[in-house]
Amino acid sequence: MSASTAFDIVIIGAGPAGQKAAIQGAKSGKRVALLERERGIGGSCVYRGTIPSKTLRESALHLDRLRRASAAFEFSLKPDAEISSLLSRLEEVVQTHDTYMSKQLRRNGISLFHGRARFLNDRTIEMQTVDGARQHFTADHFVVATGSRPRNPQEIPVDHEHILDSDSLLSMIYLPRSLAIIGGGVIGCEYASIFALLGVEVTLIDRAKAPLQFMDPELVAQFVASFEQQGGRYLGGQSIQSVQWDGATHVVTLLGDGRIIKSEKMLVALGRQANVEDLNLGAAGLEVNEKGGLSVNQFCQTVVPHIYAVGDMVGAPALASKAMEQGRRAVRHALNLPIGDAASTIPIGVYTIPEMASIGLDEKMAGERYRNPLVGRAKFEEVARAQISGAGHGLLKMIADPNGERLLGIQVVGDSATELVHIGQMALQQGALVESFIDNVFNFPTYAEAYRVAALDILGQVAKRQTAAAA
Amino acid sequence: MAPDTQISTAAIEKLEQALVKKLDAGEVELPLLPQVASQVMALAADATADAAKLSSLIHQDQALAAHVLRIANSPAYMPRSPVVSLQHAVAMLGINLLSEIAFTASLKNGAFQVPGHEDHVKLLWRHSLASGAFGKEVARMRRVNVETAYLCGLLHGIGKPVVLRTVANLAKDLKVPADRAMMQQLLDGYHTRVGTLIADKWGLPKQVAEAIACYQEYDHATSFRQDCLLTCVADRLATHLLEPEALPEEELREHPVFADLNLYPNDIDQLLAGKEKALALVNAMNL
Repeated sequence: MSASTAFDIVIIGAGPAGQKAAIQGAKSGKRVALLERERGIGGSCVYRGTIPSKTLRESALHLDRLRRASAAFEFSLKPDAEISSLLSRLEEVVQTHDTYMSKQLRRNGISLFHGRARFLNDRTIEMQTVDGARQHFTADHFVVATGSRPRNPQEIPVDHEHILDSDSLLSMIYLPRSLAIIGGGVIGCEYASIFALLGVEVTLIDRAKAPLQFMDPELVAQFVASFEQQGGRYLGGQSIQSVQWDGATHVVTLLGDGRIIKSEKMLVALGRQANVEDLNLGAAGLEVNEKGGLSVNQFCQTVVPHIYAVGDMVGAPALASKAMEQGRRAVRHALNLPIGDAASTIPIGVYTIPEMASIGLDEKMAGERYRNPLVGRAKFEEVARAQISGAGHGLLKMIADPNGERLLGIQVVGDSATELVHIGQMALQQGALVESFIDNVFNFPTYAEAYRVAALDILGQVAKRQTAAAA
Repeated sequence: MAPDTQISTAAIEKLEQALVKKLDAGEVELPLLPQVASQVMALAADATADAAKLSSLIHQDQALAAHVLRIANSPAYMPRSPVVSLQHAVAMLGINLLSEIAFTASLKNGAFQVPGHEDHVKLLWRHSLASGAFGKEVARMRRVNVETAYLCGLLHGIGKPVVLRTVANLAKDLKVPADRAMMQQLLDGYHTRVGTLIADKWGLPKQVAEAIACYQEYDHATSFRQDCLLTCVADRLATHLLEPEALPEEELREHPVFADLNLYPNDIDQLLAGKEKALALVNAMNL
């Protein structure tokens, strides 16, 4: 065993949160060690989550575009299509990402170590390498960014063969004929819409009446309508009584109302659980909370002030963007640097088909804070670019104060929603007025035109209110 | 060099040259994907597949039907009551598992037959089965799909019986004495090349074809590297299970593939703890 190696900051986990924490530390002139138990860097985001699912999503969208563009031809996916053929670009994408991230870490002088880390006390970490060797690290500050994995409840027998989780789903050889998905959260909905578009018979089951409870109901309704149009079905308000592989042909799911759903495969998407088991948190004076993660304050500080926790392990939403910001924020706080308020305007992006995005207050939240806030709507049917792209269904909602002046939030569903929301984000950060969307000239034809349409809708409502008040 | 060694070296060189010549000329006789296996694969991808179709398919080959029933009744599959008919077997075990059994069994009947070398073939076959079984366990540990892992493990050495048959015939034709060690050396050297040809001929899924081609030298894999790594681990574990004297535990643990697949020492402990389960499956399928 080697003697302890001292660093200013030791970060456990090289996913999006850990990387950003490491880069922030290094850019501030500190000696940073980044410890990662997997071979590659990037965490679940790169290897099992965001990037693989978005690559499959792109393939599904390409196929859909082909199908729509070739109405004169008979075009359909082979019934025994191999999933790998739909993920053919994945290895290239992951490799490029890995190379880019490795270069970035090297360029910033960050020391990257490969091994499993555990606390020996609140100032020392022991790392076991994959060949069994052990090494000790000490530091002034620690950032725990070990991420999460799919949560598989004991009562559902995930076997990675018939009943899968989001880690094992994409390693199927063939597209299944039918897929039941338990869980109407981000992962469940994203995969539901992707597989439905690929022609799989998808049943999405959730306890709530509607999926994606944290999103604006109007957006969600549009997503559900689109999903059902693709042949999927959403079963809301359902509890799961039992799930079992019938040993013959199907995964059989018994619902609370007695209904039985049979599917060739099942995806269990019931949230994620923090990777804490290897960390020996007790030795550092830490303990997991009732959700299985670490509790932190607004600076991502745990009860042990020099130990920070960031990313998925501090709880939902499990967004890479949020994780990155927390990593940056934690290290800036540790080093007594100004933090900024970027955390207050982190957008939410959901890569369903159609995609959804939100920033700031939605209609319900605005209604709780203001009396009669104004909501401007721009249907994509009114936006030339959406018509040209053949993505006619979509909606941008602009939320404004009751005077129709201050912008409070933006919600979008439809093509390019996750990009489009950033205009709203910048406007919110700059305190832009609703009028500024009318005063500024956007390229034509673009989706950004939806902002102008929504702003005009708000101004129209303001005028009506003024007329009504005058009368 | 001792005279015996000289003869042996000369013999192996002669056989190797003849084998390479045959391979280069495309004259190695590749087995057809056994008809039943091919039909079973097609049935598995058929939306209208049902128990009756599968059992009637298996019934077409009486020897296969008997084997399937024997496997279905083995302790590894723990039937609640004796399985007396194929219909019953389908009901008890399910179409997918029975398809897997039928595929495996028909493979044995087709590709794994080399008259005069039954013992050697039996070892190759058991190794394939053990690799399939371990492949599933490694896949579960790495949270990837187990179906792919089973196929990769089962088929990674599909070139071996073909090389064995080819070399055995060459030895006969050239009147060269070929002992087991000599055969093994040629198998080790050429089964990957032959396996790749078979994968192409049988139209195996891309992951399986890549695992056959690159499981030993996974750094050469141009795609599906994880499947190749996983198959290599399964292959090493199978060798340790069936020939512990050839690959003792200490040596097995030192193989770089475990680190390359990011399996830590306690992960290897867990896999080794599954040896009996893997052996039970091998014995169940051992026709």
